[in-house]
Amino acid sequence: MTQPRAVTCPSCGGSIEIRAAGYTVTLACRYCGSVLNVAHEDVRLIKAYRRVAKDFAIALGTRGTLFDVEWEVLGAMRRRSGSAVWQEFLLFNPYAGYRWLVEAEGEWQFGTMLLDRPEDDGLSVTWRGQSFALDEDVQIETTTVLGEFYWRAGRGDKVQGATFMRGREALSRETSADEVTWTQLIAVSAEWISDAFVVKQKHRSRPPRLRGQGLKQGFIKAPTMDEGDLPAMLLMALAALLMIMAVQTFLSGPQVCADGRATVEVGAPTSTQPIGTIEVRRPWQFVTIAVDSDSFHNRWVDLDYSLVNRKTQQSIDAYGIVEFYTGTDSDGPWSEGSHHTDTLFSSVPQGTYDVFVDVGAHGWPSDPQPGSIDPANPWGNTDTVALWFRSCTGGFSWGMFWLMAALLFSVPVIIVWWRHEG
Amino acid sequence: MESLTCPSCGAALPVRDPGLPYSTCAYCQTLVRRAAGSVEAVGTVAALPADVSPIQIGTTLDRGGIAATVVGRVRWGWSDGSWNEWFLRAADGRAFWLGEAMGMFMLTSAYPAVLAVPAVRNFADGNPMARDCTVKAGGKWLTATDIKEAACLGSEGDLPFPTLPSWTMTNVDFRNAAGDALSVQRDADGTTAWLGEWSDLAGLKPGNLRQIEGWTKPGALA
Repeated sequence: MTQPRAVTCPSCGGSIEIRAAGYTVTLACRYCGSVLNVAHEDVRLIKAYRRVAKDFAIALGTRGTLFDVEWEVLGAMRRRSGSAVWQEFLLFNPYAGYRWLVEAEGEWQFGTMLLDRPEDDGLSVTWRGQSFALDEDVQIETTTVLGEFYWRAGRGDKVQGATFMRGREALSRETSADEVTWTQLIAVSAEWISDAFVVKQKHRSRPPRLRGQGLKQGFIKAPTMDEGDLPAMLLMALAALLMIMAVQTFLSGPQVCADGRATVEVGAPTSTQPIGTIEVRRPWQFVTIAVDSDSFHNRWVDLDYSLVNRKTQQSIDAYGIVEFYTGTDSDGPWSEGSHHTDTLFSSVPQGTYDVFVDVGAHGWPSDPQPGSIDPANPWGNTDTVALWFRSCTGGFSWGMFWLMAALLFSVPVIIVWWRHEG
Repeated sequence: MESLTCPSCGAALPVRDPGLPYSTCAYCQTLVRRAAGSVEAVGTVAALPADVSPIQIGTTLDRGGIAATVVGRVRWGWSDGSWNEWFLRAADGRAFWLGEAMGMFMLTSAYPAVLAVPAVRNFADGNPMARDCTVKAGGKWLTATDIKEAACLGSEGDLPFPTLPSWTMTNVDFRNAAGDALSVQRDADGTTAWLGEWSDLAGLKPGNLRQIEGWTKPGALA
């Protein structure tokens, strides 16, 4: 009974030790990412994946001491709500149970599930005699899971998440089809977390970035949506779209580009390389970094960009990745990924910036042995990946533009379609 | 402590709680029924799956100054998982169940009065229980949040019912915002009701916890 439980992933054959045996229900394989049902002795595959998410701030299995209790990181999830993306870590100690660590933009929270639930009166809740005010109530989607969970966790899980605040303390209510759970979240300093656990460099705290959300909201709400106003709605949508284009073009300002290149050895430690200097002439501008790589396969390259202001030496960071995988399975040959990625810095203040990239290339499913030859590409220079960078000020966000266009025209188009059908 | 021997393998079969009719042999998994000093083998219990529970037979909990000792465990399995329930006997003779879920604990004692409530009586008669059904027990309102069909996955120690693999039950967990818990269990022997509350381990003031390999007991529990 004291032996740890080990299971074999039915998808990739990897052997995985279950740390919270008896509690763990779902296991996302750390080799291939496949989600397994390990609730019973016979391990069942829930969904196969080919690749595991690597970009977590703390590695699975890491232990650290917080509040005088040693915790082990059992599971990690990446979650999303609108444009906000964050990570959650499931901590475990067999004598103390489960806790949570939540990381968003370098800020950390420690979460404890509540057994005594707050009393809910709509816009605020009362818990242990104190009132917490509703901060937001949004849909949350889990985009990636890795490791062990005590419930049926999976990619694509959706819950309704409400947050109630009181100073630095928050109460989070998550409602799924099956249940409602309440969690108390308290802010903990990033230094404290990185003292307790090994936190990867790029998830250390960084200055918060501004977000261009206000404009978008204003334009979505603008068109009148009366049923008889269809031609007017279409015209207004068109006018709004033209305005958005004008505003985005104006905001993007003059375009200045710098080119750079880097070569990186696959499997080598991350290295920092300069890739040019750019000047932001407007008070605020977009900056876009486009990268093209040579045509590798079964590799991925993590790109941590930093724009370092020459005057202040302050840095603005963003993350990019190029990845390309090929293989053959029961459906025939497949490929995933791209050799090109654009990374957008949404608002960069005026100044001259040196652009650096922390670059690390990796092989999938594992890094190649030094000096080995890739049988699929015996004549290629398989040990390195070459990258070409182009950093430009004044990036025009076509993604946002088309999103606006889709949102603005969706209502009148649905009405036209509905009338046509009816 | 009175001691018997296993009719199947001859190993010593300690009697931890003479008030309980069933005991699982720790060596050969034989389920033994005890009556008036005699023992009878009734079948073989499945071996308990490995787990990292901090509770073991002999663990003590403090209930208002009275020590209750764990004398047996049954492990229940349902479609999406499994959980432990530990049976405890207090020095004053009271019986408790300690249920484990999500690293939390539900400690309950028998509360037969709620079996007279029409919704619970209806369930005891073999009918399904509606989720969100609300009942009053011990002056508290509680809501049915969780209904599970469970089968016995294994056992150890002394227990009130036969824990053979064919033994099944329907469990309804009621709870409320204050952290109170009511568990109603229906099996072949009938229906029982248990009232108590949710707690973390430290709140139960435990003693003689299991030493789990690779972990040290936190200072407050050592």
